[in-house]
Amino acid sequence: MKSKGDFPSINDRPPEGSKPDGSPYRVLVVDDSMFVTKQIGQILTSEGFEVLAVAADGEEGLNKYKELYPNVDLVTLDITMPKMDGVTALEKIMEFDKNAKVVMISALGKQELVKKSLLLGAKNYIVKPLDRQKVLERIVNTLK
Amino acid sequence: MRVEYINPFVESAYNVLTEVLGGEVKRGNLFLKSATKPVLGVAAIVGLAGEVEGRVLFDMSKPTAIKIASVMNAEEMTVLDDLAKATISELANMITAQAVTKLHELGFKFDLTPPALITGDNMEVSDQEVEALIVPMETEHGSVEINVAVRERS
Repeated sequence: MKSKGDFPSINDRPPEGSKPDGSPYRVLVVDDSMFVTKQIGQILTSEGFEVLAVAADGEEGLNKYKELYPNVDLVTLDITMPKMDGVTALEKIMEFDKNAKVVMISALGKQELVKKSLLLGAKNYIVKPLDRQKVLERIVNTLK
Repeated sequence: MRVEYINPFVESAYNVLTEVLGGEVKRGNLFLKSATKPVLGVAAIVGLAGEVEGRVLFDMSKPTAIKIASVMNAEEMTVLDDLAKATISELANMITAQAVTKLHELGFKFDLTPPALITGDNMEVSDQEVEALIVPMETEHGSVEINVAVRERS
């Protein structure tokens, strides 16, 4: 009979969403698509991140960032949104907090806007369709 | 209508559907429809305006839309609720974005409208002065018709 000790532990790796002190990284997700916010939320919470808040447009995202500051470790920001687009919201978030860590979420074909965002201070970007590996890789690298 | 307008949509629909559904996707035969065409039940419509103008319709039956939304959300959905609708809109978004990148590379300049989702029974779409090219994509959850009616601005 095999005892537990016979199996190698595959779960030694700490979840990616934990800070060195064990508390979760806190993320603000800004996207006008309910599908995308849910998808990002699922990927992040499964790795131990905490989705602190969700906003459906740039204006709401900016307001939530200000409201939650300094408790937001990272923002995912969609580029195309109603009311205030992601690039404008990024600019305003960076004005408010020059150390903000923002990752842009973009559909293909928005290279110019992605470039502009990186120049404005976005730390990274992810092109849709989103997959788990791509999202985690970019976000974890940004937090390092 | 020139066939080179529809090819990027068919290619990117193939790429995106294969990626998000994870199963086999087959391309059906292209057909042309100049008269009024019935809509299958759920249609995401994206407008194009610029040197090229018109619209692209991603058309599918309601059960197909619900099944595709279920796979994309990794959960069983039974009704076309707000989340399912957002999912199908996002699918249209991803396909269009990829196709438009290709068309821009070919030198066509135009802007897009955000996708609008239309649902209902016995609907028809009429395109004036421009015929629609349709390519059905057969997925294991049912057919998704890529219906493109665009022309160069005169």
